[in-house]
Amino acid sequence: MNQITSDAGTNQAPYYLPIADEVEVFQAAYASRLPVLLKGPTGCGKTRFVEHMSWHLDSARADDERPEIPLLTVSCHEDLTATDMVGRYLLKGDETVWSDGPLTRAVRTGAICYLDEIVEARKDTTVLIHSLTDHRRILPIDKTGELLDAHPDFLLVISYNPGYQSVLKDLKPSTRQRFVSLEFDYPDVETETQIIQHESGVEESTAERLAVIGERVRNLKQHGFEEGVSTRLLIYTGELIAAGIAPRRAATASIISAISDDASVQEAVADIVDVILP
Amino acid sequence: MTLEQEPEAIEPSIALADVESSLALFAEGIAGRYLHIRSNQEFAANPKLTLEESGGQNSDTLFLPESVATTHASTYRVLAMEQIGLRECDTLSFRMETAVEQIPSLLQRFQPDPNAGPRVGDYRLLFTSFSQPALAEDLFLLFEETRIQAHLQRAYPGLTKHFQAYHGYLLESQVPADLLEQAKRWRMGEPRKLSDSGLQRTLYEAIAEHRESAATVYDSVTALCEHYEAVLAHYKLEESSYRETDESLVDWLNREQRVEEWEEELEDINEQLSQSMAMEIPTGQEEEAVYGDAGDGSQRQIDLDIKELKDERDTLKRRVDMERSAVAHALGKSQGDARSFRYDEWDYLNRTYLRAWCRVFEQPLGTDGEDDIAPLKAVIRAYQNTVQRQLEQIRPTGLERIRRVQDGDELDLNAVIEARQDIRAGQSADERVYSRKERVQRDVSAIFLVDLSASTDDPIHPPEPRDWSNYEEDESDTRAGWYASFDEIEEEPEEPGRKIIDLEREAMVVMAAALEALGDSYGIYGFSGYSKDNVELFIAKEPDDAFSHTTLKSIAAMAPKGSTRMGPAIRHATQKLMNTGSAMKVLMVISDGFPQDCDYGPVRGNHDYGVEDTAKALQESQQKGIETFCMTVDKSGHDYLKRMCPDERYMIIEEMEDLPSQLTKVYAALTGK
Repeated sequence: MNQITSDAGTNQAPYYLPIADEVEVFQAAYASRLPVLLKGPTGCGKTRFVEHMSWHLDSARADDERPEIPLLTVSCHEDLTATDMVGRYLLKGDETVWSDGPLTRAVRTGAICYLDEIVEARKDTTVLIHSLTDHRRILPIDKTGELLDAHPDFLLVISYNPGYQSVLKDLKPSTRQRFVSLEFDYPDVETETQIIQHESGVEESTAERLAVIGERVRNLKQHGFEEGVSTRLLIYTGELIAAGIAPRRAATASIISAISDDASVQEAVADIVDVILP
Repeated sequence: MTLEQEPEAIEPSIALADVESSLALFAEGIAGRYLHIRSNQEFAANPKLTLEESGGQNSDTLFLPESVATTHASTYRVLAMEQIGLRECDTLSFRMETAVEQIPSLLQRFQPDPNAGPRVGDYRLLFTSFSQPALAEDLFLLFEETRIQAHLQRAYPGLTKHFQAYHGYLLESQVPADLLEQAKRWRMGEPRKLSDSGLQRTLYEAIAEHRESAATVYDSVTALCEHYEAVLAHYKLEESSYRETDESLVDWLNREQRVEEWEEELEDINEQLSQSMAMEIPTGQEEEAVYGDAGDGSQRQIDLDIKELKDERDTLKRRVDMERSAVAHALGKSQGDARSFRYDEWDYLNRTYLRAWCRVFEQPLGTDGEDDIAPLKAVIRAYQNTVQRQLEQIRPTGLERIRRVQDGDELDLNAVIEARQDIRAGQSADERVYSRKERVQRDVSAIFLVDLSASTDDPIHPPEPRDWSNYEEDESDTRAGWYASFDEIEEEPEEPGRKIIDLEREAMVVMAAALEALGDSYGIYGFSGYSKDNVELFIAKEPDDAFSHTTLKSIAAMAPKGSTRMGPAIRHATQKLMNTGSAMKVLMVISDGFPQDCDYGPVRGNHDYGVEDTAKALQESQQKGIETFCMTVDKSGHDYLKRMCPDERYMIIEEMEDLPSQLTKVYAALTGK
């Protein structure tokens, strides 16, 4: 349910190719500990961006100041409650033991807590965020009666995808206005070519063809699939090709079947892929 | 009109109707914008009656044959790409002026005809500069198509093999005739022959070079100028003409694009004009006193400029209007950015479906009109209480605590105690010791289809003897099932001259407000149109849109239009509902009379065909798991509604003013089961 990422602790910085000034803005926001909201379609690099930033921030710290896990990622879903984030009592043998949730853990240790797709979570979770994201920086835990002051290094980052969530699930202005917003979108063909080439290790010409496929298929969004084909999917395709799968087969497996179940959309996407690939 | 289908072709063939939906998506993906797809049969001599002049954005259409006699599934893709190529290669933006500037040899040929009006297309101007226009056109196309094809193969390498397959088919099915066709065949991959003449070889080389180097449409024109004389000499045409010439599709598309350029020009002039007007000194006399003669002089100059600009604008506007109507005549009425879909129709006389018979255009209702939404808001307030009462019965209860689950926000004490007992007793305990809150959700999507036929313009109370209503009253009691528990609604004081359309609008806003409170997803569409190729569906609200000011504006913009072809509208709504994927799907049709259209059935005035088709469409919808319901304000509705839907699936509103409250009531009953 909760996916805890510790990528940022490894030696190499996660690859991220800045599209605009998002790196500078994030650094400035972090300097003042302003919470950050990342907005953009699926698979355009939001999570990678957070990992990238977290790695850089963490490696700038002294060894003894580093939190155990510098980045805690929670993928929100519609059954995610406040309890899941804060923590709960667990039965262990004959005892009931309190166990911190990812948010509490980040608040205690001074990590970055990244709540992915925040609007998917239940409403009670967004309320938790409020006291953490203004000048108070506190997390009340009602089950243990604790009032937790946030570690000075703690930062909350949330992401949301304005595309496919229905209007009913939009962020409330009171929540939205607590964050510095960074908008993400799919990169242009040239940049995307670079990204695909780097991430999947295919040749430039293949990467370029894949980027063109991405551009054209995105023209079709809102026809049976809410999101265009993501950079992530294109990279998957590239990886399959690099592993020796024929380009058309790779595209069928990773792009065409993945983005829609509608037969006519699949057919159209398959046709587009077919004419663009050499 | 004939309803007979063409006999089945014996050779293998692919019909446009079969591939249209995915081809439209394909074209939209490649081109980055929606392109209409129409069959060649819809091009030219289109006898469609236009109900209203549509201005605004022009349609961009791919014209494709109704069927192709080949087994290659990719043929339509190649044909579509060839036409997209025309756009990507800027073939359509060819302008004679630029050509004359760039190509000196053309200037020698080109003699501007003082009699030719501005309505002659640029390609016509070009080809008539040559002694044999049709020959010039064919030669030009030979080069231009080479250029386009080369571009397409560079940009879309995967297309090459489809081109080969298609060309292979063309080479097989056509018989070579003359020089230019030979050249075409060579381009498509036919090997050279020993018998090829010197001229042929020259042409082939020119084509090969053109394939590599040509960049713009003007390069193709240059090639035309270079080789024209030699080709002309080969044909030895002295007296006879090469072929009668007529304006081709490319001509028309080129002219269509030119109109757009003119319109931009027109906008510029209008802007200049308004700037000049603003500069104009409002009252001459006062200014004269201040600025003296100088002021007077500049005033006169400005007046003169304005007059010139106005003249220029008027001329241009006339030209645009004339050209637009000419283009519309040739290419069919411009549908703006309306998307179109084709649907089958049930022909009950022959007990068969007519394949892809009707074309439905889907377009948003204009929201920039002056329609007043204040009355609609008042209507929402007036009905709020009643509607709330009705809907409370079906509102979900909210959060519910579910016990004994694997995972949750709290421990379930009873379960914990049992688990402890089990552990003490040495048994393995049940792990489901948590409880959690869950929201009980409705998963309903509804679509409301509102009849916008011309008859909805009628007043609610027609001037006819009141005896009618007494006659109908008895019958309504037999159908009390649906509205046994009527709430008595205080009748609003009746305004004079209220029309059926007003009531439909009111019913829709009341419904929208109610559903907004309930949280169901819903769409509101008006439908009308004229003839099978022009069924119109007007979007007031898509299921994904939020209820907003715009929605109210759109509902206010619902206005009486043309006929009532219900079948395709229902089929389209069904398609939309299926796309929502909701567990419960509801389709409600609100009409004021029987289905009818100018060509809805072989005999105009006989409504059986329309009724049967509508009944079939409703049946199809029900088979797909959609709850359908028809409401009508037509008091003679029993006659045909009985044939169209089961008894419990329709309702006739006796007192038209009841429509809004009855609608919400029926909805509550339908979805509250």
